[in-house]
Parts: sequence; C-alpha cells; structure tokens
Amino acid sequence: MNRRVLIAIAVLALAGALAFAARPHETTADERVDQITTELRCPVCQGLSVKDSTSETARQMRDLVAQRVREAKTNAEIEAEFRAAYGDWIFLSPPLASWTGLVWLVPVAALAAGLALVTGRLRSGGVPQPSAPTTTEVAALRERVAREEAAEG
Amino acid sequence: MLARVVRIAVVVVILGLVVTLALAFRRDPHDIRTGTVNKPAPAFTLGRLDGSGQASLADYSGKVVVVNFFASWCLPCIQENPALVRVYERYRSSDVVMLGINFQESRENGLAYVQRMGISWTSVADDDGRVALSYGVFGPPETFFIGPDGIIAGRHIGPIDEETLVTAIEKLRGQAATR
Amino acid sequence: MSAGDLGAAALRAALFLSLWGTGAAIYAAWRRDARVLASARVAAGFAFGLVVIAALSMMFALATHDFSILYVAENNARETPLFYSIIGLWAALEGSILLWTAILAGATAFIAFRGTLAIPRLATTALAVMFAMLTFFLLLITTPAADPFARLAVAPENGNGPNALLQTHPLMPLPPPLLYLGYVLTSVPFAYAIASLILGEGGDRWLVATRRFALISWALLGVGIVAGAWWSYAVLGWGGYWAWDPVENAAIMPWLTSTAYLHSVMVEEKRSLLRSWNLALVVATFALTILGTFLTRSGVVNSVHSFSLSAIGPILLGYLVAILVLSIGLLLWRSARLRDAGPIGTPLSREAIFLFQNVLFMAATLTVLLGTLYPLVAEAISGAQLSIGGPYFDRVEIPVALALLFLMGIGPQLPWHGASRATLERQFTAPIVAAAFGALAALITGTTALPAVLTYALGAFVLATVVQEFARGVRARRTLHGEGGVAAFANLFRRSGRRYGGYVVHIGIVLVALAVATSQARTVDAERTLAPGDSLDVAGYTIRLEAIRPVSEPQRDSIVADLAISGNGASEHLRPALVQYPNSAAAVGSPGIGAGLRDDLYTILAAYDQRTFSWATIRTRVIPGVSWLWLGGAVVGIGAIIAALPAPRRRVVRMPVAEVAVSAK
Repeated sequence: MNRRVLIAIAVLALAGALAFAARPHETTADERVDQITTELRCPVCQGLSVKDSTSETARQMRDLVAQRVREAKTNAEIEAEFRAAYGDWIFLSPPLASWTGLVWLVPVAALAAGLALVTGRLRSGGVPQPSAPTTTEVAALRERVAREEAAEG
Repeated sequence: MLARVVRIAVVVVILGLVVTLALAFRRDPHDIRTGTVNKPAPAFTLGRLDGSGQASLADYSGKVVVVNFFASWCLPCIQENPALVRVYERYRSSDVVMLGINFQESRENGLAYVQRMGISWTSVADDDGRVALSYGVFGPPETFFIGPDGIIAGRHIGPIDEETLVTAIEKLRGQAATR
Repeated sequence: MSAGDLGAAALRAALFLSLWGTGAAIYAAWRRDARVLASARVAAGFAFGLVVIAALSMMFALATHDFSILYVAENNARETPLFYSIIGLWAALEGSILLWTAILAGATAFIAFRGTLAIPRLATTALAVMFAMLTFFLLLITTPAADPFARLAVAPENGNGPNALLQTHPLMPLPPPLLYLGYVLTSVPFAYAIASLILGEGGDRWLVATRRFALISWALLGVGIVAGAWWSYAVLGWGGYWAWDPVENAAIMPWLTSTAYLHSVMVEEKRSLLRSWNLALVVATFALTILGTFLTRSGVVNSVHSFSLSAIGPILLGYLVAILVLSIGLLLWRSARLRDAGPIGTPLSREAIFLFQNVLFMAATLTVLLGTLYPLVAEAISGAQLSIGGPYFDRVEIPVALALLFLMGIGPQLPWHGASRATLERQFTAPIVAAAFGALAALITGTTALPAVLTYALGAFVLATVVQEFARGVRARRTLHGEGGVAAFANLFRRSGRRYGGYVVHIGIVLVALAVATSQARTVDAERTLAPGDSLDVAGYTIRLEAIRPVSEPQRDSIVADLAISGNGASEHLRPALVQYPNSAAAVGSPGIGAGLRDDLYTILAAYDQRTFSWATIRTRVIPGVSWLWLGGAVVGIGAIIAALPAPRRRVVRMPVAEVAVSAK
C-alpha cells in the first residue's frame, strides 16, 4: 500500500478514537460525587483529596456530597457550601476568578515565552544542503573523540 | 533584547523566591485561619448525648454561646477539660451557655466520657458530622465563641486554657451589655 | 570512648581535613602544584573515611539503643527491631544530613583520586568546589542546629521510637538513600561547571568529564522517585502512589531539569550550541536539590515525609542564596565566552525538538515550583490561605507530559539540521499506524478518558519508533559486520550504549505513562461495613471478611482484618491492619495489597468495632496497571545502566569522519 494512504487511514482512525473519547456524555451521580470530592481537600490529611482519603472526616464529606447530588444541587451550590465553612483552602486547585488565578497564568505565559524564544532562534526555510565537514570541524571532532576516550578510559 | 528580558526575569524570579522563603519562616503551617469566623453561626438541632431529647442553637439566641467540639479519643480534649469545667462553674448563673458537640464517635463512648470527666453542661451528638462540617472543623478540640447576635466572634483550634476562654467570653459579654 | 564520642570526634577531624582540602585544592589549581594536590587527595580520602566512621558509629549507637544521644532517644526504642534501628540513620533530620555528608565526602574523594588524573586543572578547581560544599555540610553538622551526636544530660530509660510511618514496611529504607545519592551526585556536574566558568574555559570539557555523573544522578533520582512512589503506595494506605506532596515535588523538580540537561547536552556535543544554557541547567538542577532539601527539612511546608521544624532552615536558605549568587554571577560574567557557534536547525531538526522539549521541561518544573510555593506567596502577600494540590498539578502537567511524550517519539527520528519530506514519511508511517492502534486498544480495554486515550496513542507511537530504531540498527550491523541477529542486538548496546540505552529508558518512561494513565482512568473504589462472614463485590473480585482480631508485638499492637479474596482468577488472603505504635497518637493504616500485572486489589481497614470485633469497614480499590509503574521504573534504571556503561575502546581515531558523514546526510 502507498505510504500516504496508510498514513491517511491511520490519522482518520486516530481522530475517530479521540473524538469518541472526547464526546460529551451524561455524568452519572457517582461520577459527579467523584468529580467534586477529587477537588476537595481532606481537612485532617496532608494534602489528600476527600475522594482519596480513608479518614472518617473524608467519609462524612463524601456522604454529604452524595446527599447534595441526590438533592439535585448544582456543583456550584455544593462547592459554595464547603467554601462557606472552610474558605478557598478547601479546594485543591485555586479558583481562576480571583487574583489567585495568577497561578494558572504563569505556566501558560512561561510556556508561550519559551516557545517564542526558541522559534525565534530556529533557522527558517527548507532543508539545509548536506555539506561536507570542513577541515576545522573534523579536527575539532577528532580532538573531542580523543578527549572522550581519555575521560572514559 | 529578548535575551536581556529573560535575564532580568530570571533574576526577579529568584529574588522573589528567596524573599518568599525568608518570609515563610514567620508562618506556622499548623495555623489555619479560614472558616466561619465573623459569619452567622450555622444553625443546628442535635440529640442530647444522655438521650433526653434535643438541643438547638436557636434555643440560646441572645446569649453568649461557647461551642466545644470534643471526643473521648482526643487526648488534647482531656487536657483542656479542667479549664472548661472551671469556666463553666464561673459563668453558670450568667447569660453564658456552654455546649459540647461530640465528634466522630458512638453515643455510648461520648456519654461515658462526659460522665467520667464531670461535664454537666449540655452535650449533643453530631452523628453524621454535618454540624462539624458546617462549622469548618478540622478536628477536636475546637472551640467557637458565638455572640448574642448569633455571629461567630472567635475560634480556637487545639486545647484551650482558662485565660483564653475568659477573655473571649468577657469580650462578648461586654458587647451584649452595650447593645 | 562511646560510639557517640567517636562519631563527633570523627566529624570534627573531617571538618579540619575538608578545610585543608579546600585551601589546598585552590592553591593547587592556581599554582598547578602537584604536591599540594596530592595532599588535597589524601585529605579527601581521609575525610571520607572519617565521615563513614561517624555514620557507622551512629548506626552502632542506634543498634545498641544508646539513649544518651538525643537523636537515638528521639528515633529509637528498646523494642525497635535491629533492622529498623540501623536504618534509623536516615529516619530523621540529623541522621539524614549525616548520610548526605557521607555521600558528598565519597563523591569528593572520587573526584580527588579519579577526576584529577584526566584533566588536572579543571578537575582540581572542581575539587575545590566539592571541598567547599563538603565543608559547608560538615560545619552544619557540627553546629548545635543539626548535630547528630548531641548529648542528653540524663539518658532516658527508653526512647521515643521511630516515626510510626517509617517502620510499617520493609521497603521504607530504600527511597531515601537512592534520592540522597541522586541529589548529592548532581553536585559533581555543578562543581565542574563552576570550575569551567571560573577558569573561563569556553569548551565542553567539563561536560564530557561529568556526563556519566549527570546520567547516574539522574537515574538514581528517577529510580528513587519511583521507589518513593512505591513506598507511598505500600505504606500510606490511601491507594495512590503520588499526591504532589512537597517532598515528592522536591524530588521531581531536579529530575525534570536534569532530564532536560541530558538531552540538550547532546546539542552542545554535536553542534556546539546552547553552551550557557547547559551550564544554567546544571546550576538549576543542583540549586533545586538544595531548594528541595530546604523546603522539606525546614518545616516551611508541611508534608507526610518531612521532618519536624528545625533551626537549619535559615542556614540552608543562606547556602541556597550563596550558590545562586555565585553561579548566576559567574554565568553573566562569562557569558561573552559562551557564544554559540552558528544558528540552530529548522523546526523539524533534532536540535529544534530538543529545544522545544527543554521549554516543556522548564515549564513543568516552574509549575511544580510555583504550585509548591504559591500558598506561601499568597499568604505572605494577602494573608489568604489556599491549597494547591493534585487537581491543579494534574491540569497543568498532564498536557505538558503528553506533549513531551509526543516529542519523545519525534526527536530521535529526525536528523540534525533538518528533515526532508521523504525522511518524515519514511520515519513516521509505522509510528502513526501504531498510534492509531494504541488509541483503539485503549477504547477496547475500556480506558475511555481522553487523556488516557491520548497516552495510549502516544505511548504506542513512541514504542513503534523505538522498535523501528532497533530493527534498523540490527539490520545495519548484520549487513555491515555480518553479525547474527542476537549478536547484532547485543552489540547495539555494547557499541552504542548511550543511544540504545536511552531508547530503553524511553520504553520505561512509556510504561510509566501507560501505568499512570490506566490507573488514573480506571480505578474503582468500594467501601462497605462487613460482619465476619459477609462479603463485598468490586470489579469482579469477591472480598470476604473472615475475622477481625488483635495482634500484639513488642513494638506495636495491631488490629488485623483477615480477608479472603476470590474472583478474577485470584485466590489469596489479604490482611489490612490498623497499627498502633506507643509513640503515635493515631493508629496507622497498613493496607493489604494483592498485586497483579492486570490490576492490584488494594484493601484498607477503615474502621472496626472496638469492643466486640463484630464489624469492620473495609475500603477497597481496584487499581489497574499500577504494577507497570514499578516495572517501568526498573526498565528506566536498566536503560540508564546500559547508557552509563563505558563502550569498548575504539581502535580507530578516524571514526569521527564517518560520524560527520552520517550526521550530515
């Protein structure tokens, strides 16, 4: 088979699989409880989530969340209930809305700046012509190999 | 130009890092201040440990209420108990109410503890932990001071002493008097 | 003379020798004086011996329960078994710093005897830097703030015993020494880099001399991190292996920068580019090891693994500042001599991929650093208390990790300078087809979360590129050298260990990524309160509570749940327990784990009837694929060993010309 046809089929299959994985689907009540408790910090643990913790407090919090989900409360309402008692401290990822959202911005900004910096230094245009190594390059390489052998021996 | 910006950014980041770390020495990682202070105290109605009906926070509106979360398995609770008993005796005949909320244990164990430790104020059972969660409790012992206006005026995490108790209560009583 | 006196005296003598060695190495480098260098060598050797004697006497004091030493009284008890007594050396702060100092002294001695033979001036200057760092640690360990041999006026009858978490599992002793070795060995490339900057050498001699050290310290950090994850999983009892805990973050940061360095260093070797960048990476890696130590040993941030609040925080912070000021100052001073030779290749060249990869690793490191410190910053600025944990790190780091996985497949397939369209088609047809099969495999096995499906696709992509590389290598050796298939395969490792060992490391990383994706996407939890005889079904397993009973041992009391497991072809007994140590307020959970290649059954005794043992709350977690994480860690270690082994000496010096011809193609 032609390489390009093969690549096209593979890319299509890949895109289909990813689209299937990303399709929106109804979350069950249990999934919602898991989603919410993953974000909540267990008050008596060292940085563990309510979902992961085996402590009695975490179990009670899971029960409370499950009950609120059964009562058809929205995620925002359930979160507000915990925020009222424990403040933003109770959430394992800080809210984007306030100035604490800076913690989300910095990695993205750093990534963008780094990529811009690197892209700026790359050579644009086509593939460089293969050129024979110059004599100085060969000499430098020979020296390097000799040195490496000395260092490794 | 860009390289220079990067260089400056690196120096700024590192300076900020060092300053933050130096500042962090003043911080106590066990001191957690978030929560329900200066907000209306969440209402609750819970069964009494001795089985004699229920007690509700609303019963005490207009009074200074000291809410103490405790458990028999909590060693600091045993440690702070004498101070609580003395302060209870001191304010017994005044408008100060003390209310114990049993935290994460069976009613039998809680009741046995209350009887053993000479606790004669009202103690209630928070069976499913909902009240503790609504107050933002981390673990016993924790003490909340609720003013006559129903607002949580203060909170103490860990074992409390007599002086802290009296100071907080007197402040709230003063408030009540000026109202 | 007691063991404590001996240890304390040995440390003070080592400090004296280390001070001498610092001066002697500086003088020897400056005057090129071989006799003074010889004295520095002797000082390094004896200092190492003395610190080892100090560490051994601490072990002896722990094993003999000598409670007149404060450290022993706080971290040992008469009931502590011999094994846990001896490893008590690294169970708390002072002992850990002693172990750290011993490893540093060993590295210093190694440089003194081996390093200074090959490239005397550079290595002698590096030796001076090593000695200076050793002097700092010996000073630290002989001050009251971190003196392991500090005495008690009156020896208590019995000690407090070790931290409960540190004696529930025989794996406990493994991760700390691995990590300490990794941390300390990063100081060798750092010392050479600083030496190179001080001497004003523009070249890459420092880099060649320390390549193996960088690789070994990287591998030890990596294996130490996986071993630490394994310890968390087997001991902490919540059914996970990674919680973005400050101690974990402290270990992963230098590993990330070190990984970036191991790749960008190739760009400098092949193309003489990125000189100051590589120096900066070495400095960053080393500084992050010190920062991590500071964070976790000063009590500034809380962690399950960190030791109690200590006075060494400000001292370590001062050390960190000194290192940063010195290194950044030197880098800026010498930046003119570190100009790169020529431009970098096109976006589809190997060096460009390495650069993008470096940017991603830096962003990943910055995120971990920021996430760990941000609560401190927020509180210092506004007094607000907030938490940063798993969900934050997952959201930022998973996309970065997926991008890195992608680059891991692309980078090795692209030539230096730039690739043509034909090259791209030839190199990537099979991997793209593999990626499609990987995504389908994920869906078929029920792993349907998008990040997990992407991980499967990218994992298959990378594996296909590695297989392709091996197949081509074997084919080339068969035609060129007429070797048989097996011999050709073995010779790939023997002759080009660095390259093919690197591919083995990539396989290990893919295994780790697949294990993480699978376990995160498909873990099933269940919790039930059972009476003896009752059972609980989860993910095809049936868990029957047979009995719940107390077990008493000299050093601890436990409540054990006997569970009979059936289903999914399993038939075994698990015994999760709650263990009460005399020195700890709360009982420590000890999970019962049924490990398997398909999935692990993780059982926890969450609660029980304390009076009549008539019921127990059993929490279970079925965690698919988690065993592959440990396996992947082992494969990474094996790959690193292959890459670090010296290649057989090449006979011909004409080799590089052929190499240039190949790389220019």
